[in-house]
This record gives sequence, C-alpha cells and structure tokens, in this order.
Amino acid sequence: MALSRRLLPALLCRGGCLSASPSPARALYTAAAVPADAEEEEEEAVTIKGVRISGRPLYMDMQATTPVDPRVLDAMLPFYLSRYGNPHSRTHLYGWESDAAVEEARARVAALVGADSREIFFTSGATECNNIAVKGVMRFYRDRRRHVITTQTEHKCVLDSCRYLQQEGFEVTYLPVRPDGLVDVAQLADAIRPDTGLVSVMAVNNEIGVVQPLEEIGRICREKGVPFHTDAAQALGKIPIDVNQMGIGLMSLSAHKIYGPKGVGALYLRRRPRIRVEPQMSGGGQERGIRSGTVPTPLVVGFGAACEIAAKEMDYDYRRATTLQQRLLDGIRGQVDDIVINGSMEHRYPGNLNLSFAYVEGESLLMGLKEVAVSSGSACTSASLEPSYVLRALGVEEDMAHTSIRFGIGRFTTEEEVDRAIELTVHQVKKLRDMSPLYEMAKAGIDLKSIQWAQH
Amino acid sequence: MAAAAAPTRAEVMSLFRSLLRTARQFSDYNIREYTRRRAADAFRENRALGDVPAAAAAFAYGKKQLEVAKRQAVVYSMYAPKAKSIMEMKLQ
Repeated sequence: MALSRRLLPALLCRGGCLSASPSPARALYTAAAVPADAEEEEEEAVTIKGVRISGRPLYMDMQATTPVDPRVLDAMLPFYLSRYGNPHSRTHLYGWESDAAVEEARARVAALVGADSREIFFTSGATECNNIAVKGVMRFYRDRRRHVITTQTEHKCVLDSCRYLQQEGFEVTYLPVRPDGLVDVAQLADAIRPDTGLVSVMAVNNEIGVVQPLEEIGRICREKGVPFHTDAAQALGKIPIDVNQMGIGLMSLSAHKIYGPKGVGALYLRRRPRIRVEPQMSGGGQERGIRSGTVPTPLVVGFGAACEIAAKEMDYDYRRATTLQQRLLDGIRGQVDDIVINGSMEHRYPGNLNLSFAYVEGESLLMGLKEVAVSSGSACTSASLEPSYVLRALGVEEDMAHTSIRFGIGRFTTEEEVDRAIELTVHQVKKLRDMSPLYEMAKAGIDLKSIQWAQH
Repeated sequence: MAAAAAPTRAEVMSLFRSLLRTARQFSDYNIREYTRRRAADAFRENRALGDVPAAAAAFAYGKKQLEVAKRQAVVYSMYAPKAKSIMEMKLQ
C-alpha cells in the first residue's frame, strides 16, 4: 500500500507529462513490442496506415468488442502472477485453487442466465460455441434429424456452419426477416418438420441491434420438441436472459462483448431434457468431454467477474444506454434529414444504432470519421465491397446499405463523447452532401429512381 | 458473520471523497469518467437506505470497490498510451 503511494506520482508523471524523450519506465519493457511506425515521439499524434489523428479516437464500436472493465482485470491478474496452476492438475495447491476459481466463475456465468453450473461449458468464444451447437447437435442426431432452421441475419459462423452441414447432406431453411429485422414466428412454426433437429435464432443482432422474440420462439420449439439454439453473444448481460422462461436448449456466450477478456466464451447446454452434442475438439475430455483442452483460468475468471458485474449493473447500464441512444439520435436527426434507422426501434437493444445516410457515399463518410471509432454496415464482409448481408435481408437498397454506420454505446460511453460523435458525423455528412449532385437533384424534387441515365 | 453497524455520515463522505480522488488518478478518460459518475450515482441512490444491514452491506461493497479502483489506477497509469484520447485534447 505504502509502496504504491510512493510509486504512483512517478508513474502518473510518465502518463501525464508531455516529454520529448522516451520516458524511463518504457525502457524497462524489453519484451513488450512497440510497433515502430505506430506512434510519433514529437507530438501526441498517432500515425497509422497513412492516417494521422491527433489522439486516440473516441470508441463507439461496442458491438465489435468492449474494453475490459478494470474490475475484471483486477480479478484476472492474480491468475497471471502467482496462481498460475492448471485447473486439471489434481495433485497440488496450484491445481486446486485454479479449479476452485474456474468453478466459481462457472457459477457466476450460470447465475446470469438462470442456468445450473453443470450446464455451462467454457470454450474459446461464441464462434466456437456456434460451431459446437450447430454441427455438434446435428451430427449427434444425424440418423433421425436432417433439417436445420435458421435466419438470414445470423452471424457468419452460424451461416457458415449451416453451409458446411449442407455439404454433408443436411437440409437448411434460411428464414427471411421482415423489414424491421424481426423473424416471422408463424413462418418459423410452419417451417418446422418432423425431422428438424435445430432452430437457431440469435438473440440480439450484432449489426442492427434488433432483439428477436425469444420467448415465443422457445415456446414453439418446446411444443414441437425441437432444440432451440440462440447466439446470445450480444445479449448477455445487456437484456435479461432466462433459459427456462425462454425455452432455450443451447446458447452461445462471449466474454469480450460484456467487458470481459477476449478468447473465452461459454456454451449453455440444457440438462433437462438433455441435449447431446458431438464434441468438435478431441482430446483429454475436459469440460465433461464436450470441449477438450486446458481451461484458461485467467480468462474464465475474467468472464465470471464480467458476468457478476453485468448482473449488478444491467439496469443502470440499460437506462444509460437508452438515454444516450436517444441523445445521439435526436442530435443527428435535429441537424440532418434523410436518415433511415435500420431495424426495429421498439425491439432493439439501445446500445446499437445503425443509421443509413441518404445521398452520401459510405467509404468517404467513414474516411472522414477517423476521430470516431465506428463501423460500417459491411463490417463482417469488410474485405470485399459487397454490402452487408444483414441489411440486404432487411430489404435495404444497395446505396443505403453502403452508407450505413453502426454506433455502439456502452458502459463507459460519456455524454460528451456522444455529443462529439454527433458533431463529427453531422459535419462530415453535410460536407459530403454539399458536394453531391444527387442530393441537389433530390432537394429540387427530382425522383432519382425515375431518371434514365444515358449510356455513352 | 456478525452484523455490521451502519456507517456514520462522516465515514460515508470520506469513502465518497476517496472514490472521487481515486477516479481522478485514472489515466484513461473513459474509466476516469465512469468511476466518478458511477460512484456519484451509487451514493445518491443509496442515500435513502434506512435499513441498517443494507446500508452496512453497501458501505462494505463501496470499500471493496475503492480498493479495486486504487490498484487499477496504478496498473492503468503504468500502461497509459502516449497519445491521449481526443476527448482530452483541446478542440481544434
């Protein structure tokens, strides 16, 4: 305690002072890799990939990942420092304390979703969970169940797993969604066949923030005796989840979306009635044979801490996200028009706002928004220029899909950041619209769709 | 566990001031603002707690959070990036 008080001023000076020479503390980090071209010494500006920004951008991309909560880091550090045992070592203190920590974390994850500890299996993340859920369930019941139902707006890993199953001879129904992003529950009920082995519908969509009617879907699946899988990576700790109330059979959870560490997630697998899966990882039989591999204690402890914090803070964070989203929306809409919100406003998690700006080119808008860390609608397919398949499934036109921006609001977002994001976005949109001949024509009342563009 | 006595007003104010002081020591803009805001909101919300065990529990929780915050303020400052958040820079 006294030591830290003596060290604190010296350490704080390092972070706070503007120094031209590299500070002595940094010289100690021989192992830490400092990218040579990422920072300039003279000013506090950051130059990376040819772009120069005056400081670190304000972060509004919470759906991509979230910062680790300091309380989570505090829980994890001892397991990187002194309590570094393998939880599967049965013969010594290091193993026992590590195992105890893993089990405590498991209980916390289970408590957040209303499950039993024995129903939670730690994995490397939601992608792995989705793979185990989709492929594992169908392969286990491959003799009697040959059909999978999912939606067109699922995460890439679910869709890819389904495509993989199709190659193995299973049949998959990709349900369309309504223009507001919600799945038609009656259509889902009709699609269920006697040989349907799994229904997979994500809880909260990562691109548009829409919340699917989980209770209704769960009820239908329970009635028809089909396991219901939901990818709850974006929903965990943000909206209340109860696996029994919602009739959920399998659920994918991710730590780094709820202020936990990256690299860990959990699969919920119902015990009553028991849902069996074929393991996708062969090995020593850890996690009751469902997922072999050493359970990463520090990550799992972080996940448990994140879940515990989320349980306490859910109401506070939800109310705050609602207020901030309204502020963001009002601020932007008050200054620019011709904006479309992608996805239902009523059935939405307030921390995710996806907007399309008409008559603005998407890439130029993003390039001008370098001081705000946001993502465009085509985040998941970022390598190609094709617009997001989620927006396409909503029926959004290609030009509007290209200009979509996803704003993520989280626990640590401040009012000032929202105001600055509004300012920067409005400034950039106005600048681009001033230069846009299409905008001029639209304002003059010409219907752009009726124009016959001459071919040369 | 023995029932703890309710904290006195002086103790509560001292804890609150310590939390705010520790919040200021965070080098990260977002964590600093969050700690300050969350502490203020939590103390405001719990002001009406008349129930002695609940008040004692809230106070104990607050003390634990203070310890976490103090440790993490040190850790964050040890790894503070050279470039500050644009929110902390003067408007250009």
